[in-house]
Amino acid sequence: MIEYKVIKKILNILLGNGADFSEIFVQKRSFNGLRLEDSKIENSTSGYELGCGLRLWSGDSTFYAYVDSLREDKIINTARVLSSAVNGSSLVKVMDLTETSSPYNAEIKKYPSDVNAENKKNILKLVDKTSRDFNSAVIQVTSFLSDVEEEILIANSYGAFSSDKIVKTLLSINVVAKKRNNTATGYKSLARTMGYEVFDFKEPAELAGEASEIAINMLDAVNAPTGELPVVIGPAFGGVIFHEACGHGLEADAILKDASVFSRKIGKKIASEAVNAADDSTIKYRWGSYKFDGEGFPSHKTVLIKDGILKNYINDLKTSRKMGVKQTGNGRRQSFRDIPIPRMTNTYIDNGNEDPKSILKSVNKGIYAKEFAGGQVDPATGDFVFGISEGYLIEGGKIGLPIKNAILIGNGLDILKKIEAVGNDLDFAPGFCGKNGQTVSNEVGQPTIKVSRITVGGTKSQDE
Amino acid sequence: MNNNKYKIRGEKLLSICKDAAARINKHKVDEFEIFTASSVENEIEIFKEKVEKLTFSDSIGIGIRIFNDKSIGYAYTTVLEEDSIEDCIERAVYNSRVTAKEEYNFLPSAEETAIKEKLISDDLLFRESLLEYSIEDKIALAKKLEKLTGSKDKRVVDIESVTYYDSIYETVVLNSSGFCDKYKSTGSMIYVNAISKEGEDTSTGDYFGCGRSPSEINLNEVAEKAAERSVSILGAEKIKSGVVNVLMDPVVSNQFMGIIADSVKADSVQKKKSVFRDKIGEKIFSIDVNIFDDGTLPEGLSSMPFDGEGVIKGKTGVFEKGYLKTYLYNTFTARKDNTFSTGNAARASYRSTPEVGISNFYIEPSRNSFGKLLKDMGNGFYVIDIIGLHAGVNPISGQISVGAKGLWINNGKPSHPVKEVTIATDILSFCKSIKEIGSDIKFTPSGGYIGSPSLLVDNIAISGK
Repeated sequence: MIEYKVIKKILNILLGNGADFSEIFVQKRSFNGLRLEDSKIENSTSGYELGCGLRLWSGDSTFYAYVDSLREDKIINTARVLSSAVNGSSLVKVMDLTETSSPYNAEIKKYPSDVNAENKKNILKLVDKTSRDFNSAVIQVTSFLSDVEEEILIANSYGAFSSDKIVKTLLSINVVAKKRNNTATGYKSLARTMGYEVFDFKEPAELAGEASEIAINMLDAVNAPTGELPVVIGPAFGGVIFHEACGHGLEADAILKDASVFSRKIGKKIASEAVNAADDSTIKYRWGSYKFDGEGFPSHKTVLIKDGILKNYINDLKTSRKMGVKQTGNGRRQSFRDIPIPRMTNTYIDNGNEDPKSILKSVNKGIYAKEFAGGQVDPATGDFVFGISEGYLIEGGKIGLPIKNAILIGNGLDILKKIEAVGNDLDFAPGFCGKNGQTVSNEVGQPTIKVSRITVGGTKSQDE
Repeated sequence: MNNNKYKIRGEKLLSICKDAAARINKHKVDEFEIFTASSVENEIEIFKEKVEKLTFSDSIGIGIRIFNDKSIGYAYTTVLEEDSIEDCIERAVYNSRVTAKEEYNFLPSAEETAIKEKLISDDLLFRESLLEYSIEDKIALAKKLEKLTGSKDKRVVDIESVTYYDSIYETVVLNSSGFCDKYKSTGSMIYVNAISKEGEDTSTGDYFGCGRSPSEINLNEVAEKAAERSVSILGAEKIKSGVVNVLMDPVVSNQFMGIIADSVKADSVQKKKSVFRDKIGEKIFSIDVNIFDDGTLPEGLSSMPFDGEGVIKGKTGVFEKGYLKTYLYNTFTARKDNTFSTGNAARASYRSTPEVGISNFYIEPSRNSFGKLLKDMGNGFYVIDIIGLHAGVNPISGQISVGAKGLWINNGKPSHPVKEVTIATDILSFCKSIKEIGSDIKFTPSGGYIGSPSLLVDNIAISGK
C-alpha cells in the first residue's frame, strides 16, 4: 500500500523532535451490510475507507493522529504536526524494517467480493422463512449480514513490519415471538474471520431455527426467583461472564493504573482449583483471531489462570514494556482512527472433567443460565451485572421452567472462588466488545460451570 | 501544533456535494441525497499529572443515498477523490437494486425542508473561543481537574482517568429536490473517575461536564461530584430484597429517560418494538409529566438548524401533562403514519442512513428541591449509579432490571451505603410510579442530549440478600 522507503521516512519524521518510538498503521477497508426486517431487505450499505494512524511515545506519553488518506504529502504533513507536539531528548533512529512472521495462517475460500448481492439477499430470505416457519408465534425476524475485506500494514521504529489481509463475515438473527400477552426474543449469531465459507460450518437455516427455538421457549417464561442462588452457566456464550467479570480486570492498562481487583495478584490463587483460563488469538478462523494484532505483533495464546492461580495479564506493547513482561499480542484497535489498547481476543475457561449432566444433577434448587443479553463490569471494583436472555429454573437436578428477564449481579473475584464444578463441553460464541469507545470482535467460551451462589435479580411483573 | 488554527470548511464541503451531485445527474436515478461531514477532534488523557494520551483526529466523509423506483441504496467513502466518489455513487446505485420497494421511499418535499425561520443560529452552536484554546491550555485544564478531584476527600486515593475531549463539526446536506444547507458546531467535555479506599473496600465514582467550549464547564463541580459519588458508597453492603421507594439521581434517571426516548422513536413503534405502540392519547404517567424533544434548545448540545434529511428542527411535546402526544419521526416513518416528520432524522455519521434519533430530549423540571424529594421519600433507596442497563432492558416487553448502588435513606437522612442489589421494573410501571420530579436537571450526551432532574419513584422491586 505504501513503499518501504516512504514508511521509513514517515517513521523518522515522527521521531524528529526526540520521541522514543514511532509507528504507522495503514488500513484499507471495504464493508457491505444487508439488513432484513418485516421480511424485506430494508437496507443495503457499502462503504470504502482508507487511512493511516500515526503514533509516537515520549516518556510515558502517547501521541496519536490519523489522516483519511494514503497520499504521501498528507501523511507527511500530519507526521510533522504530530511530532511537533513532542519536546523530547531521545536520539533513537528507525531500525531497518524486518518482516514479522506469525503462527496464524488461514486460507480464505469464498471472498465476499466474489459473492453477488443476489446470493447474499437469498441468505437473509432463507433466514426469514426458516425462522417464521419454525412456529406461527414468530411475529418478527430481524437479520443482518455483513462482510469486511481489509488490508493492513503496520511498521514501527523498532524495525517491525507486518502486513495482512483480513476477511470477516457475520450473520445475526433476532426473532420475536408473541403468544397472548407474552412477548419473547431469541438471538443467535454466526461470525468468523473468514469469507462466505462460514456457512459450511453452519447453515443459515440451522442458526435461524436455533434463534426461533429460544424465542418460543421463552414465551412460557415465569418470573425469576430473587436472592442468592446456585447458578449453572451453560457452555459457549456463558463465557461472557468470565469475559466481563474477570477478563477486563486482567487487561494490563487497568492493572497499571491500579484500577483492577487483579492488581498484584500474579502467582496468587484467585479462583477455585478447577479453573483454567486462556486468551488465544491463534485459533483458526475464530471471530477474535488474527495473524497480527493492531501493533503488528503475531497472534499468541496466553494462559491467564492455571489451576486457580493467576499466571498472566493481557498486554499490548506499551503495558508489556512498562511491566517488564513479554508482549502477548493483545494490542488491538478498532481502526486506523484508534490507539491500540490491551484487549481480549478469544477468551475462555478451559475444559474440566465433569459431565454437564452430573453438574445439573448436583443442584436441587437454582438457575440454569444459557444465553446472556450482555453485561457490564467496573474493573476497579470487580462488580458486574449480566442480563440472562435464556434461562431456566433448576428443580431437583433437572432443567425446569424458563425464567424471564433475570439478571446476575456480583463481584468477579468473589465468583471465581465460587466456581464449584467445570464441565467438559467447551464451546465458543462470537460477539463484540466495547472499551474506551472502540469496538472489536471477540469470542467468549467455556464449558458448563457451576457457581455456588450468585445474586439473582428477578422481575417485577405487571400481572403480579 | 498551536499554529495550525482551524480553518472553516463549509465551502469545501459544499463544493464536494455539488461535484458529487453533478456526477449523480449523469446516472439514471429518480432522486438522491448527499451528506458530508467533517470533524476535527482532540482528546487528552491525564494520569498522575502526566499526559497519558494525546490524540488529534481529522476526518471527512461522504454518504450518498440513491432513490430508484422506490428503493434506496446507500454507500459511503472517506476518499474524496473523483474516482472514489464515482465508485461510491455506482455502489449506491447498485445497492438500490437490492433493497425492497417501499411506497414511502422518496425525499422530503421542498416545503418540509424550507427554512421559513431559522430557529437556531450558527453562533449558538459554534464558539470561536474553543479555537483559542491551545493544547497546553487543555492539558492544564485536565491536570487541574485531576488535582481538584483528589483534594476533595482524603479517601480518594487515585484518579483512574481524566479525559478531556473537544470537537469541531461541520456538515452539509444536499438533495435533488433543492435542499442545500450547512452548519457547524463545537463541543467540549471533561470526565473524571475517582477511586476511593477505606479499609479493604474500593469504590469508584465518575462525573463529567460539557459545553460548547471549555469555558462553559465548571471544573470544581465536576471534581466535587466525582469524589462524592466515589466516597459515599464506601463500605456498602447488600440489603434485603423487597419493594421500596427509590430516589434516582439525575445520572440514573437520565438512563431511564434514554429507554423512554428509544421507545417513542416511530421506527421502534412501527416495528412493534415499543411498549408505547397504540398508546397515543393515553395517560402514561400518574402525574403531570412533560417530556420534550427540542432541537432548538439554546444550551442543548444536540441543537441544530435542520436534521439529517434537511428537515427543520423544532420543539416536539412528546408527553404533555402525562399524556403521550406523539412519536418522533423521520420522513419515511412519518409517511407510514400519514403525518409529518418531527425533524428527528439523525445521522450517526456519514457511514449510516438517516434513522430516527433524538435531539435534546428532556423531562421538564419542577420547583421541588432535592431536599424536598428526600424528605418526601422518608425511607427508601437513593440510587446514585446503575450498571448493566444495556444488558438489562428488553425494549419489546418493556422489562428492566439493572444493578444499583447508592444510599439507604431513613427518615429523609442517609443511613448506610448499599451495593450489589438489582432494581427491577418495566417501562410502563416505571412511568406510572414516578411520584415527584426534582428541579436539579442535568443533561448527559448519549445518542442525543438527554436531560432529567432527580425523580422520586415508588414501589420498585429490589433484590439483594
